[in-house]
Amino acid sequence: MEPDFDDEDDHIYINEETELGRGNVLVSHAPKQRIVPPLNFCPVERYLYRSGQPSPVNFQFLLDLQLKTIIWLANEEPQDTLLEFCDSHAIQLQFATINPDGGEDDNPWDGLTEHSIIAALQTIVNAENYPLLVCCGMGRHRTGTVIGCLRRIMGWNLASVSEEYRRFAGSRGGRILVELLIEAFDTQLVEIDRVKAPQWLLQDAQ
Amino acid sequence: MSYRDRLEGLAADEPESLLKLLKQEDEEIESKLGLNNGMLNLHRVINEDPGLRKRIERILDRFYPNDINAKSQENNEEDVDDIYDADEHRVKSDAKLRIVDTEEEVIPPENFSHIVGEIYRSSFPRPENFPFLQNSIKLKSIMVLIPEDYPQENLDFMSQAKIKLFQIGMSGNKEPFVNIPSDLLTSALEVAINPENHPILIHCNRGKHRTGCLVGCIRRLQNWSLTMIFDEYRRFAFPKARALDQQFIEMYDEEKIKKTAHEKKWLPIKW
Repeated sequence: MEPDFDDEDDHIYINEETELGRGNVLVSHAPKQRIVPPLNFCPVERYLYRSGQPSPVNFQFLLDLQLKTIIWLANEEPQDTLLEFCDSHAIQLQFATINPDGGEDDNPWDGLTEHSIIAALQTIVNAENYPLLVCCGMGRHRTGTVIGCLRRIMGWNLASVSEEYRRFAGSRGGRILVELLIEAFDTQLVEIDRVKAPQWLLQDAQ
Repeated sequence: MSYRDRLEGLAADEPESLLKLLKQEDEEIESKLGLNNGMLNLHRVINEDPGLRKRIERILDRFYPNDINAKSQENNEEDVDDIYDADEHRVKSDAKLRIVDTEEEVIPPENFSHIVGEIYRSSFPRPENFPFLQNSIKLKSIMVLIPEDYPQENLDFMSQAKIKLFQIGMSGNKEPFVNIPSDLLTSALEVAINPENHPILIHCNRGKHRTGCLVGCIRRLQNWSLTMIFDEYRRFAFPKARALDQQFIEMYDEEKIKKTAHEKKWLPIKW
């Protein structure tokens, strides 16, 4: 009588304890809420953060950061859930398009153009946009490029910039092209308004 | 006669006096050898010549047989990084002190990062990092997690920059049976999350293991999920992540620090 066995397996006991007549199960305390930061999340400077693409499990965490702005470094739109989240919490979502003229031809694995790096940095050097999160798909190369160029503006030596970039680049390591781009980046191209710049930037620019 | 010839002569004929020389400051050695032009860096000369280095090691071997054995054992282990070597630190610092003035760039220490608010982490800071720590980060305190004496040049820098030192010496989680005691970690957390000490830099030798454990426990106070805590731990410990450290972070009993922190209103830690 094999079908009987199958039926047995298919039957799901929603509360086995009650079914067996053991009475109520007391739960002494609610399960602890665990906060989940996005992939590759890290603070960069005070009120400036970096990460991979946030998903709904990260939203509670993002609310704790009280973000005002998110910079999304990709041509393609982020997931709808993120768009809705930004919408409902009045977070300004800035697209730093990789290659504005690329049209259909552009690849998600293309690096950033100088134009898009400057556009992102122009937002980052303005404290009115803070607290601010910079992110891309995995929070590795595009985010790393922008943060690397920011470190150059801050006057970090290149070895430290490279070390930081590689820390987030994952097991396959950094991309030489990204590091060349960071090294060659002309920091003068970013205009810094001293009145609006975050405190930590002014100290180093002096 | 070149420096190298002089050293080789000394090594062959008078191992005792060479040993003595090795233990003195570079400047003294320079004057002893009659080279007051500031060009000599004894350790560098020795390191650059494999033959000379071998011979000096053999000589040292004769004087400190136990030391050498202990050292080679340490080297066989995976984690020489954890052992703070005062001489190594001094040699690197000396080499850097001479070029630091000409640099306009700021140089953060290796493995430097923000943790949360005004709490920072890094490896052992050296003189080339002092301007960064003083002017860019404007540190108020440094907490070191190694038990060894803190180097004099770091102490001098800190007294000049009015930075307070907290030392909580831990020996790290290592096979077999060496564990960071939980109460040490608790007292370290009390220093780290107390806003009165901020901005604070937390460091050990490489900023990987002991610092990683402490940061992991700070993340637990922020209620981070363990998966993301471990992910962060591994990012900074790469390529030397330790299962024992991750276990420690998970097993750490946070009851006492949570009680203190709630009483003093340190939680939630401000971003």
